[in-house]
Amino acid sequence: MNRFKDAANMQKVVAAIISILAFLIFWHVGVKYSSLSKLLPGPIEVLSSFLRSVVVPIGTATIGGHALWSLSRVFVGYAVASILGIILGVTMGWYKSVEAIFRPLFEIIRPIPPIAWIPLAILWFGLGEITKYFLIFLAALSNVTMNAYAGAKSIDPVYVGAAKMLGANDRRIFLSIVLPGSVPHIFAGLQVALSSAWATVVAAEMVRSSEGVGGVIIKGQEINNTVQILVGILAVGIIGFVLAIIMRRLETRLCAWNERGK
Amino acid sequence: MNRKNKLQVKYTLMSITSLTVFFLVWWLATDVLQVASANALPSPVTVIKTFITKLNNTAPDGATMVEHIGSSVIVAMTGYLVAIVIGVPMGILMAWYKPIDLFVRPLFDLLRPIPGIAWIPLMIIIFGIGLGSKVSVVFMAALIPCILNSYTGIRQTRDVHLWVGQTFGATNFQMLTQIAIPTSLPLVMTGIRVALGVSWTTIVAAELLASTRGLGFMIQQARGIFRPDIIIAGMIAIGAIGALLSWVLTIIEKKIVKGVRL
Repeated sequence: MNRFKDAANMQKVVAAIISILAFLIFWHVGVKYSSLSKLLPGPIEVLSSFLRSVVVPIGTATIGGHALWSLSRVFVGYAVASILGIILGVTMGWYKSVEAIFRPLFEIIRPIPPIAWIPLAILWFGLGEITKYFLIFLAALSNVTMNAYAGAKSIDPVYVGAAKMLGANDRRIFLSIVLPGSVPHIFAGLQVALSSAWATVVAAEMVRSSEGVGGVIIKGQEINNTVQILVGILAVGIIGFVLAIIMRRLETRLCAWNERGK
Repeated sequence: MNRKNKLQVKYTLMSITSLTVFFLVWWLATDVLQVASANALPSPVTVIKTFITKLNNTAPDGATMVEHIGSSVIVAMTGYLVAIVIGVPMGILMAWYKPIDLFVRPLFDLLRPIPGIAWIPLMIIIFGIGLGSKVSVVFMAALIPCILNSYTGIRQTRDVHLWVGQTFGATNFQMLTQIAIPTSLPLVMTGIRVALGVSWTTIVAAELLASTRGLGFMIQQARGIFRPDIIIAGMIAIGAIGALLSWVLTIIEKKIVKGVRL
Protein backbone atom coordinates (compact mmCIF):
# COMPACT_ATOMS: atom_id res chain seq x y z
CA MET A 1 0.00 0.00 0.00
CA ASN A 2 2.75 2.39 1.01
CA ARG A 3 4.78 1.62 -2.05
CA PHE A 4 1.69 2.30 -4.11
CA LYS A 5 1.43 5.77 -2.59
CA ASP A 6 5.12 6.43 -3.17
CA ALA A 7 4.72 5.50 -6.82
CA ALA A 8 1.80 7.92 -7.18
CA ASN A 9 3.80 10.69 -5.52
CA MET A 10 6.77 9.93 -7.76
CA GLN A 11 4.51 10.20 -10.79
CA LYS A 12 3.25 13.57 -9.56
CA VAL A 13 6.75 14.96 -9.08
CA VAL A 14 7.96 13.73 -12.47
CA ALA A 15 4.90 15.17 -14.22
CA ALA A 16 5.40 18.48 -12.41
CA ILE A 17 9.03 18.68 -13.46
CA ILE A 18 8.19 17.79 -17.06
CA SER A 19 5.38 20.32 -17.32
CA ILE A 20 7.36 23.17 -15.76
CA LEU A 21 10.38 22.39 -17.95
CA ALA A 22 8.13 22.26 -21.00
CA PHE A 23 6.68 25.62 -20.05
CA LEU A 24 10.15 27.16 -19.60
CA ILE A 25 11.39 25.73 -22.91
CA PHE A 26 8.25 26.94 -24.67
CA TRP A 27 8.78 30.41 -23.17
CA HIS A 28 12.48 30.39 -24.08
CA VAL A 29 11.92 29.29 -27.67
CA GLY A 30 8.91 31.56 -28.09
CA VAL A 31 10.89 34.59 -27.01
CA LYS A 32 14.04 33.69 -28.90
CA TYR A 33 12.53 32.99 -32.30
CA SER A 34 9.76 35.57 -32.55
CA SER A 35 9.19 39.28 -32.28
CA LEU A 36 7.95 38.66 -28.73
CA SER A 37 11.51 39.26 -27.58
CA LYS A 38 10.93 43.00 -27.85
CA LEU A 39 8.30 42.78 -25.12
CA LEU A 40 9.21 39.82 -23.01
CA PRO A 41 12.59 38.63 -21.70
CA GLY A 42 13.40 34.93 -21.72
CA PRO A 43 13.18 32.68 -18.65
CA ILE A 44 16.96 32.37 -18.25
CA GLU A 45 17.37 36.12 -18.08
CA VAL A 46 14.58 36.46 -15.51
CA LEU A 47 15.75 33.62 -13.29
CA SER A 48 19.38 34.68 -13.34
CA SER A 49 18.52 38.27 -12.56
CA PHE A 50 16.23 37.07 -9.77
CA LEU A 51 19.12 35.12 -8.27
CA ARG A 52 21.46 38.07 -8.75
CA SER A 53 19.01 40.38 -6.95
CA VAL A 54 19.36 38.24 -3.84
CA VAL A 55 22.82 39.80 -3.35
CA VAL A 56 22.87 42.83 -5.66
CA PRO A 57 20.40 45.53 -4.59
CA ILE A 58 17.58 46.75 -6.84
CA GLY A 59 17.27 50.45 -6.03
CA THR A 60 17.57 50.70 -2.26
CA ALA A 61 17.61 47.06 -1.17
CA THR A 62 18.12 43.49 -2.31
CA ILE A 63 15.04 41.47 -3.17
CA GLY A 64 15.13 40.00 0.34
CA GLY A 65 15.21 43.51 1.81
CA HIS A 66 12.25 44.58 -0.33
CA ALA A 67 10.35 41.47 0.76
CA LEU A 68 11.04 42.34 4.42
CA TRP A 69 9.74 45.87 3.86
CA SER A 70 6.50 44.54 2.41
CA LEU A 71 6.15 41.85 5.06
CA SER A 72 6.66 44.29 7.92
CA ARG A 73 3.91 46.50 6.50
CA VAL A 74 1.59 43.54 6.16
CA PHE A 75 2.41 42.42 9.67
CA VAL A 76 1.43 45.71 11.34
CA GLY A 77 -1.85 46.18 9.49
CA TYR A 78 -2.75 42.52 9.67
CA ALA A 79 -2.08 42.16 13.39
CA VAL A 80 -4.23 45.16 14.31
CA ALA A 81 -7.01 44.05 11.94
CA SER A 82 -6.96 40.49 13.28
CA ILE A 83 -7.32 41.51 16.91
CA LEU A 84 -10.01 44.07 16.20
CA GLY A 85 -11.80 41.88 13.65
CA ILE A 86 -11.99 38.86 15.92
CA ILE A 87 -13.35 40.90 18.82
CA LEU A 88 -15.83 42.77 16.64
CA GLY A 89 -16.95 39.68 14.71
CA VAL A 90 -17.46 37.37 17.66
CA THR A 91 -19.25 39.94 19.80
CA MET A 92 -21.38 40.92 16.82
CA GLY A 93 -22.30 37.29 16.26
CA TRP A 94 -23.17 36.65 19.88
CA TYR A 95 -24.60 39.88 21.32
CA LYS A 96 -27.66 41.10 19.47
CA SER A 97 -27.21 44.70 20.59
CA VAL A 98 -23.60 44.87 19.33
CA GLU A 99 -24.85 43.44 16.04
CA ALA A 100 -27.61 46.05 15.86
CA ILE A 101 -25.12 48.88 16.34
CA PHE A 102 -22.17 47.80 14.20
CA ARG A 103 -23.69 45.66 11.45
CA PRO A 104 -25.25 48.58 9.47
CA LEU A 105 -22.01 50.62 9.61
CA PHE A 106 -20.03 47.58 8.60
CA GLU A 107 -22.38 46.82 5.71
CA ILE A 108 -21.85 50.33 4.33
CA ILE A 109 -18.06 50.03 4.35
CA ARG A 110 -17.77 46.40 3.29
CA PRO A 111 -18.69 46.55 -0.42
CA ILE A 112 -15.96 49.14 -1.06
CA PRO A 113 -12.78 47.27 -2.06
CA PRO A 114 -9.76 48.29 0.07
CA ILE A 115 -7.92 49.39 -3.05
CA ALA A 116 -10.56 52.03 -3.69
CA TRP A 117 -9.46 53.66 -0.41
CA ILE A 118 -5.98 54.36 -1.78
CA PRO A 119 -6.60 57.94 -3.00
CA LEU A 120 -8.47 58.96 0.14
CA ALA A 121 -5.89 57.31 2.40
CA ILE A 122 -3.13 59.25 0.63
CA LEU A 123 -5.02 62.52 1.16
CA TRP A 124 -5.48 61.70 4.83
CA PHE A 125 -2.16 60.20 5.79
CA GLY A 126 0.24 61.28 3.05
CA LEU A 127 2.48 58.93 1.13
CA GLY A 128 4.18 57.38 4.15
CA GLU A 129 3.87 54.15 6.02
CA ILE A 130 0.60 54.92 7.80
CA THR A 131 -1.29 54.90 4.50
CA LYS A 132 -0.05 51.39 3.80
CA TYR A 133 -0.86 50.14 7.31
CA PHE A 134 -4.33 51.62 6.99
CA LEU A 135 -5.01 49.96 3.63
CA ILE A 136 -3.78 46.56 4.81
CA PHE A 137 -5.84 46.97 7.96
CA LEU A 138 -8.96 47.60 5.86
CA ALA A 139 -8.21 44.67 3.55
CA ALA A 140 -7.78 42.23 6.42
CA LEU A 141 -10.52 43.60 8.68
CA SER A 142 -13.61 42.71 6.67
CA ASN A 143 -12.49 39.11 6.05
CA VAL A 144 -11.61 38.48 9.68
CA THR A 145 -14.77 40.14 11.00
CA MET A 146 -17.16 38.40 8.61
CA ASN A 147 -15.72 34.98 9.37
CA ALA A 148 -15.61 35.48 13.13
CA TYR A 149 -19.22 36.68 12.89
CA ALA A 150 -20.26 33.59 10.95
CA GLY A 151 -18.36 31.44 13.45
CA ALA A 152 -20.18 32.85 16.45
CA LYS A 153 -23.50 32.48 14.61
CA SER A 154 -22.76 28.83 13.85
CA ILE A 155 -22.50 27.77 17.50
CA ASP A 156 -24.75 24.79 18.17
CA PRO A 157 -27.54 26.03 20.52
CA VAL A 158 -27.49 22.64 22.23
CA TYR A 159 -24.09 23.45 23.77
CA VAL A 160 -25.32 26.80 24.99
CA GLY A 161 -28.44 25.19 26.42
CA ALA A 162 -26.39 22.52 28.20
CA ALA A 163 -24.08 25.15 29.71
CA LYS A 164 -27.02 27.22 30.87
CA MET A 165 -28.59 24.17 32.47
CA LEU A 166 -25.36 23.53 34.33
CA GLY A 167 -25.46 27.08 35.63
CA ALA A 168 -22.92 28.92 33.48
CA ASN A 169 -23.40 32.69 33.35
CA ASP A 170 -23.36 34.82 30.20
CA ARG A 171 -19.69 35.66 30.40
CA ARG A 172 -18.74 32.05 30.97
CA ILE A 173 -20.80 30.91 27.98
CA PHE A 174 -19.17 33.52 25.79
CA LEU A 175 -15.60 32.71 26.87
CA SER A 176 -15.83 28.91 27.08
CA ILE A 177 -18.28 28.05 24.30
CA VAL A 178 -18.76 30.83 21.76
CA LEU A 179 -15.14 31.94 21.48
CA PRO A 180 -13.51 28.51 21.12
CA GLY A 181 -16.39 27.32 18.94
CA SER A 182 -15.72 30.09 16.43
CA VAL A 183 -12.01 29.31 16.10
CA PRO A 184 -12.25 27.19 12.92
CA HIS A 185 -14.18 29.96 11.17
CA ILE A 186 -11.81 32.59 12.53
CA PHE A 187 -8.88 30.69 11.10
CA ALA A 188 -10.52 30.49 7.71
CA GLY A 189 -10.95 34.26 7.91
CA LEU A 190 -7.34 34.82 8.94
CA GLN A 191 -6.15 32.84 5.93
CA VAL A 192 -8.25 34.74 3.42
CA ALA A 193 -7.31 38.00 5.13
CA LEU A 194 -3.59 37.29 4.85
CA SER A 195 -3.71 36.65 1.13
CA SER A 196 -5.87 39.70 0.60
CA ALA A 197 -3.50 41.79 2.76
CA TRP A 198 -0.61 40.56 0.63
CA ALA A 199 -2.38 41.56 -2.59
CA THR A 200 -3.18 44.96 -1.08
CA VAL A 201 0.37 45.73 0.02
CA VAL A 202 1.52 45.07 -3.53
CA ALA A 203 -1.15 47.43 -4.87
CA ALA A 204 -0.38 50.10 -2.28
CA GLU A 205 3.33 49.92 -3.03
CA MET A 206 2.66 50.11 -6.74
CA VAL A 207 0.83 53.39 -6.31
CA ARG A 208 3.76 54.99 -4.56
CA SER A 209 6.78 53.45 -2.90
CA SER A 210 10.45 52.98 -3.52
CA GLU A 211 10.78 49.99 -1.20
CA GLY A 212 8.85 46.75 -1.15
CA VAL A 213 8.14 44.18 -3.83
CA GLY A 214 5.35 46.31 -5.32
CA GLY A 215 7.90 49.12 -5.59
CA VAL A 216 10.26 46.80 -7.48
CA ILE A 217 7.50 46.04 -9.99
CA ILE A 218 6.43 49.64 -10.52
CA LYS A 219 10.02 50.94 -10.78
CA GLY A 220 10.54 48.26 -13.41
CA GLN A 221 7.65 49.70 -15.36
CA GLU A 222 8.93 53.26 -15.02
CA ILE A 223 12.35 52.42 -16.45
CA ASN A 224 10.79 50.01 -18.96
CA ASN A 225 12.67 47.08 -17.48
CA THR A 226 10.50 44.00 -18.03
CA VAL A 227 13.05 41.74 -16.36
CA GLN A 228 12.73 43.70 -13.13
CA ILE A 229 8.92 43.54 -13.33
CA LEU A 230 9.04 39.77 -13.68
CA VAL A 231 11.57 39.47 -10.84
CA GLY A 232 9.10 41.41 -8.68
CA ILE A 233 6.16 39.24 -9.75
CA LEU A 234 8.19 36.13 -9.00
CA ALA A 235 9.01 37.42 -5.51
CA VAL A 236 5.35 38.30 -4.88
CA GLY A 237 4.31 34.80 -5.93
CA ILE A 238 6.93 33.01 -3.83
CA ILE A 239 6.13 34.99 -0.68
CA GLY A 240 2.38 34.58 -1.19
CA PHE A 241 2.91 30.86 -1.53
CA VAL A 242 5.07 30.63 1.60
CA LEU A 243 2.55 32.68 3.63
CA ALA A 244 -0.29 30.38 2.55
CA ILE A 245 1.70 27.30 3.56
CA ILE A 246 2.59 28.77 6.96
CA MET A 247 -1.06 29.54 7.64
CA ARG A 248 -2.15 26.05 6.62
CA ARG A 249 0.50 24.45 8.88
CA LEU A 250 -0.56 26.67 11.76
CA GLU A 251 -4.15 25.69 11.25
CA THR A 252 -3.48 21.96 11.32
CA ARG A 253 -1.40 22.50 14.48
CA LEU A 254 -3.83 24.74 16.34
CA CYS A 255 -7.13 23.34 15.13
CA ALA A 256 -6.14 19.67 15.20
CA TRP A 257 -9.28 18.93 17.17
CA ASN A 258 -11.46 20.20 14.40
CA GLU A 259 -10.33 19.27 10.94
CA ARG A 260 -12.29 21.83 9.02
CA GLY A 261 -13.30 20.63 5.57
CA LYS A 262 -12.16 17.04 6.41
CA MET B 1 -43.93 36.26 20.80
CA ASN B 2 -44.76 39.76 21.86
CA ARG B 3 -41.49 40.04 23.73
CA LYS B 4 -39.63 38.93 20.62
CA ASN B 5 -41.35 41.63 18.56
CA LYS B 6 -40.44 44.22 21.14
CA LEU B 7 -36.80 43.16 21.05
CA GLN B 8 -36.84 43.33 17.26
CA VAL B 9 -38.12 46.89 17.42
CA LYS B 10 -35.44 47.75 19.96
CA TYR B 11 -32.66 46.38 17.76
CA THR B 12 -33.98 48.15 14.67
CA LEU B 13 -34.06 51.41 16.62
CA MET B 14 -30.48 50.80 17.74
CA SER B 15 -29.39 50.28 14.12
CA ILE B 16 -31.09 53.46 13.01
CA THR B 17 -29.57 55.39 15.90
CA SER B 18 -26.09 54.08 15.12
CA LEU B 19 -26.33 55.16 11.47
CA THR B 20 -27.76 58.52 12.47
CA VAL B 21 -24.96 59.11 14.97
CA PHE B 22 -22.37 58.20 12.35
CA PHE B 23 -23.67 60.71 9.82
CA LEU B 24 -24.34 63.30 12.50
CA VAL B 25 -20.76 63.13 13.79
CA TRP B 26 -19.46 63.34 10.23
CA TRP B 27 -21.68 66.34 9.55
CA LEU B 28 -20.81 68.07 12.83
CA ALA B 29 -17.09 67.54 12.34
CA THR B 30 -17.17 69.04 8.85
CA ASP B 31 -19.97 71.54 8.22
CA VAL B 32 -20.73 72.74 11.73
CA LEU B 33 -17.56 72.64 13.83
CA GLN B 34 -15.13 72.42 10.90
CA VAL B 35 -12.68 70.23 12.79
CA ALA B 36 -11.62 68.46 9.61
CA SER B 37 -10.26 70.55 6.76
CA ALA B 38 -12.35 70.49 3.59
CA ASN B 39 -9.28 69.21 1.75
CA ALA B 40 -9.30 66.04 3.82
CA LEU B 41 -12.91 65.32 4.65
CA PRO B 42 -15.86 67.00 2.94
CA SER B 43 -19.23 67.04 4.66
CA PRO B 44 -21.79 64.35 3.80
CA VAL B 45 -23.97 67.02 2.22
CA THR B 46 -21.17 68.06 -0.16
CA VAL B 47 -20.53 64.42 -1.06
CA ILE B 48 -24.17 63.84 -1.96
CA LYS B 49 -24.29 67.05 -3.98
CA THR B 50 -21.09 66.14 -5.80
CA PHE B 51 -22.38 62.65 -6.46
CA ILE B 52 -25.51 64.00 -8.13
CA THR B 53 -23.80 66.72 -10.20
CA LYS B 54 -20.94 64.45 -11.20
CA LEU B 55 -23.43 61.95 -12.68
CA ASN B 56 -23.73 64.10 -15.81
CA ASN B 57 -20.96 66.63 -15.39
CA THR B 58 -17.65 66.08 -17.17
CA ALA B 59 -15.51 68.38 -14.98
CA PRO B 60 -12.78 67.94 -13.82
CA ASP B 61 -11.59 64.74 -15.53
CA GLY B 62 -13.31 64.85 -18.90
CA ALA B 63 -16.09 62.31 -18.44
CA THR B 64 -19.31 62.01 -16.49
CA MET B 65 -19.61 59.48 -13.69
CA VAL B 66 -22.06 57.47 -15.80
CA GLU B 67 -19.41 57.18 -18.53
CA HIS B 68 -16.77 56.18 -15.97
CA ILE B 69 -19.09 53.52 -14.55
CA GLY B 70 -19.90 52.22 -18.01
CA SER B 71 -16.24 51.98 -18.94
CA SER B 72 -15.26 50.16 -15.72
CA VAL B 73 -18.16 47.73 -15.91
CA ILE B 74 -17.58 46.86 -19.57
CA VAL B 75 -13.85 46.17 -19.09
CA ALA B 76 -14.39 44.20 -15.89
CA MET B 77 -17.19 42.11 -17.39
CA THR B 78 -15.21 41.31 -20.53
CA GLY B 79 -12.25 39.92 -18.60
CA TYR B 80 -14.57 38.22 -16.14
CA LEU B 81 -16.64 36.41 -18.79
CA VAL B 82 -13.55 35.23 -20.65
CA ALA B 83 -12.16 33.93 -17.35
CA ILE B 84 -15.38 31.99 -16.66
CA VAL B 85 -15.53 30.53 -20.16
CA ILE B 86 -11.92 29.33 -19.94
CA GLY B 87 -11.52 28.75 -16.20
CA VAL B 88 -14.56 26.65 -15.35
CA PRO B 89 -14.06 24.00 -18.08
CA MET B 90 -10.34 23.98 -17.30
CA GLY B 91 -10.99 23.27 -13.61
CA ILE B 92 -13.46 20.53 -14.51
CA LEU B 93 -11.07 18.87 -16.96
CA MET B 94 -8.21 19.08 -14.48
CA ALA B 95 -10.25 17.41 -11.78
CA TRP B 96 -11.70 14.70 -14.00
CA TYR B 97 -8.85 13.64 -16.27
CA LYS B 98 -5.77 12.58 -14.39
CA PRO B 99 -3.13 13.28 -17.07
CA ILE B 100 -4.38 16.86 -17.40
CA ASP B 101 -4.22 17.20 -13.63
CA LEU B 102 -0.66 15.87 -13.51
CA PHE B 103 0.65 18.26 -16.13
CA VAL B 104 -1.46 21.40 -15.75
CA ARG B 105 -1.73 21.50 -11.96
CA PRO B 106 1.95 22.37 -11.33
CA LEU B 107 1.75 25.32 -13.72
CA PHE B 108 -1.47 26.44 -12.12
CA ASP B 109 0.06 26.18 -8.65
CA LEU B 110 2.91 28.34 -9.87
CA LEU B 111 0.48 31.04 -11.04
CA ARG B 112 -1.97 30.84 -8.16
CA PRO B 113 -0.19 32.82 -5.43
CA ILE B 114 0.38 35.86 -7.67
CA PRO B 115 -2.36 38.44 -7.08
CA GLY B 116 -3.94 39.77 -10.27
CA ILE B 117 -2.85 43.30 -9.39
CA ALA B 118 0.82 42.37 -9.67
CA TRP B 119 0.37 41.70 -13.41
CA ILE B 120 -0.70 45.26 -14.15
CA PRO B 121 2.70 46.77 -15.08
CA LEU B 122 3.68 43.80 -17.25
CA MET B 123 0.37 43.88 -19.11
CA ILE B 124 0.71 47.62 -19.63
CA ILE B 125 4.12 47.13 -21.22
CA ILE B 126 2.83 44.31 -23.44
CA PHE B 127 -0.61 45.70 -24.39
CA GLY B 128 -0.34 49.44 -23.71
CA ILE B 129 -2.70 51.49 -21.53
CA GLY B 130 -5.75 50.54 -23.59
CA LEU B 131 -8.48 48.00 -23.21
CA GLY B 132 -6.27 44.95 -23.77
CA SER B 133 -4.07 45.35 -20.72
CA LYS B 134 -6.97 45.88 -18.33
CA VAL B 135 -9.04 43.02 -19.72
CA SER B 136 -6.08 40.68 -19.44
CA VAL B 137 -5.32 41.72 -15.85
CA VAL B 138 -8.95 41.12 -14.85
CA PHE B 139 -8.82 37.82 -16.70
CA MET B 140 -5.71 36.69 -14.80
CA ALA B 141 -7.26 37.64 -11.47
CA ALA B 142 -10.67 36.06 -12.10
CA LEU B 143 -9.30 32.89 -13.68
CA ILE B 144 -7.84 31.54 -10.45
CA PRO B 145 -11.01 31.30 -8.31
CA CYS B 146 -12.91 29.89 -11.34
CA ILE B 147 -10.42 27.05 -11.83
CA LEU B 148 -9.92 26.39 -8.14
CA ASN B 149 -13.58 26.07 -7.21
CA SER B 150 -14.61 23.99 -10.23
CA TYR B 151 -11.71 21.69 -9.44
CA THR B 152 -12.75 21.29 -5.80
CA GLY B 153 -16.39 20.92 -6.85
CA ILE B 154 -15.70 17.99 -9.16
CA ARG B 155 -13.42 16.39 -6.57
CA GLN B 156 -16.32 16.40 -4.10
CA THR B 157 -18.26 13.86 -6.14
CA ARG B 158 -19.04 10.88 -3.93
CA ASP B 159 -17.50 7.58 -4.98
CA VAL B 160 -20.79 5.81 -4.29
CA HIS B 161 -22.54 7.90 -6.92
CA LEU B 162 -19.85 7.06 -9.44
CA TRP B 163 -20.10 3.37 -8.59
CA VAL B 164 -23.84 3.46 -9.17
CA GLY B 165 -23.16 5.06 -12.52
CA GLN B 166 -20.64 2.38 -13.39
CA THR B 167 -23.04 -0.38 -12.35
CA PHE B 168 -25.62 0.99 -14.73
CA GLY B 169 -23.04 1.06 -17.49
CA ALA B 170 -22.36 4.78 -17.79
CA THR B 171 -19.35 5.79 -19.84
CA ASN B 172 -16.67 7.99 -18.32
CA PHE B 173 -18.02 11.01 -20.19
CA GLN B 174 -21.59 10.29 -19.07
CA MET B 175 -20.44 10.06 -15.48
CA LEU B 176 -18.76 13.44 -15.87
CA THR B 177 -21.76 15.20 -17.36
CA GLN B 178 -24.52 13.40 -15.45
CA ILE B 179 -22.95 12.98 -12.01
CA ALA B 180 -19.82 15.02 -11.40
CA ILE B 181 -20.78 18.32 -13.05
CA PRO B 182 -24.21 18.59 -11.36
CA THR B 183 -22.51 17.78 -8.04
CA SER B 184 -19.97 20.51 -8.58
CA LEU B 185 -22.42 23.26 -9.59
CA PRO B 186 -22.82 24.94 -6.17
CA LEU B 187 -19.06 25.23 -5.78
CA VAL B 188 -18.63 26.33 -9.38
CA MET B 189 -21.10 29.11 -8.65
CA THR B 190 -19.12 30.03 -5.51
CA GLY B 191 -16.02 30.35 -7.69
CA ILE B 192 -17.88 32.51 -10.17
CA ARG B 193 -19.11 34.70 -7.31
CA VAL B 194 -15.62 35.10 -5.79
CA ALA B 195 -14.26 35.88 -9.25
CA LEU B 196 -16.81 38.68 -9.65
CA GLY B 197 -15.57 40.44 -6.53
CA VAL B 198 -11.97 39.94 -7.59
CA SER B 199 -12.68 41.31 -11.08
CA TRP B 200 -14.28 44.44 -9.72
CA THR B 201 -11.45 45.10 -7.26
CA THR B 202 -8.82 44.47 -9.92
CA ILE B 203 -10.35 46.81 -12.47
CA VAL B 204 -10.36 49.60 -9.90
CA ALA B 205 -6.68 48.92 -9.14
CA ALA B 206 -5.77 48.81 -12.82
CA GLU B 207 -7.52 52.12 -13.42
CA LEU B 208 -5.80 53.69 -10.43
CA LEU B 209 -2.41 52.86 -11.89
CA ALA B 210 -2.88 53.70 -15.54
CA SER B 211 -5.99 54.63 -17.38
CA THR B 212 -7.84 57.43 -19.08
CA ARG B 213 -11.36 56.41 -18.11
CA GLY B 214 -13.17 54.54 -15.35
CA LEU B 215 -14.03 54.92 -11.68
CA GLY B 216 -10.50 54.12 -10.48
CA PHE B 217 -9.14 56.80 -12.81
CA MET B 218 -11.76 59.26 -11.57
CA ILE B 219 -10.81 58.93 -7.91
CA GLN B 220 -7.10 58.99 -8.68
CA GLN B 221 -7.52 62.25 -10.66
CA ALA B 222 -9.61 63.71 -7.85
CA ARG B 223 -6.75 63.01 -5.42
CA GLY B 224 -4.35 64.98 -7.60
CA ILE B 225 -6.54 68.09 -7.41
CA PHE B 226 -7.58 67.67 -3.75
CA ARG B 227 -11.24 66.91 -4.35
CA PRO B 228 -12.07 64.38 -1.62
CA ASP B 229 -15.78 64.85 -2.32
CA ILE B 230 -15.30 63.29 -5.75
CA ILE B 231 -13.15 60.54 -4.23
CA ILE B 232 -15.85 59.60 -1.71
CA ALA B 233 -18.60 59.87 -4.34
CA GLY B 234 -16.51 57.53 -6.50
CA MET B 235 -16.00 55.11 -3.62
CA ILE B 236 -19.74 55.05 -3.03
CA ALA B 237 -20.28 54.31 -6.71
CA ILE B 238 -17.66 51.54 -6.62
CA GLY B 239 -19.29 49.95 -3.58
CA ALA B 240 -22.80 50.29 -4.99
CA ILE B 241 -21.93 48.85 -8.41
CA GLY B 242 -20.08 45.96 -6.77
CA ALA B 243 -23.10 45.18 -4.61
CA LEU B 244 -25.41 45.52 -7.62
CA LEU B 245 -23.35 43.12 -9.75
CA SER B 246 -23.31 40.55 -6.97
CA TRP B 247 -27.08 40.89 -6.57
CA VAL B 248 -27.58 40.24 -10.30
CA LEU B 249 -25.39 37.17 -9.97
CA THR B 250 -27.52 35.88 -7.08
CA ILE B 251 -30.62 36.05 -9.29
CA ILE B 252 -28.85 34.17 -12.08
CA GLU B 253 -27.57 31.63 -9.58
CA LYS B 254 -31.07 30.93 -8.29
CA LYS B 255 -32.19 30.24 -11.87
CA ILE B 256 -29.29 27.88 -12.65
CA VAL B 257 -28.68 25.95 -9.45
CA LYS B 258 -32.11 24.65 -8.63
CA GLY B 259 -31.00 21.57 -6.75
CA VAL B 260 -29.02 21.40 -3.55
CA ARG B 261 -28.29 24.50 -1.53
CA LEU B 262 -25.06 24.51 0.37
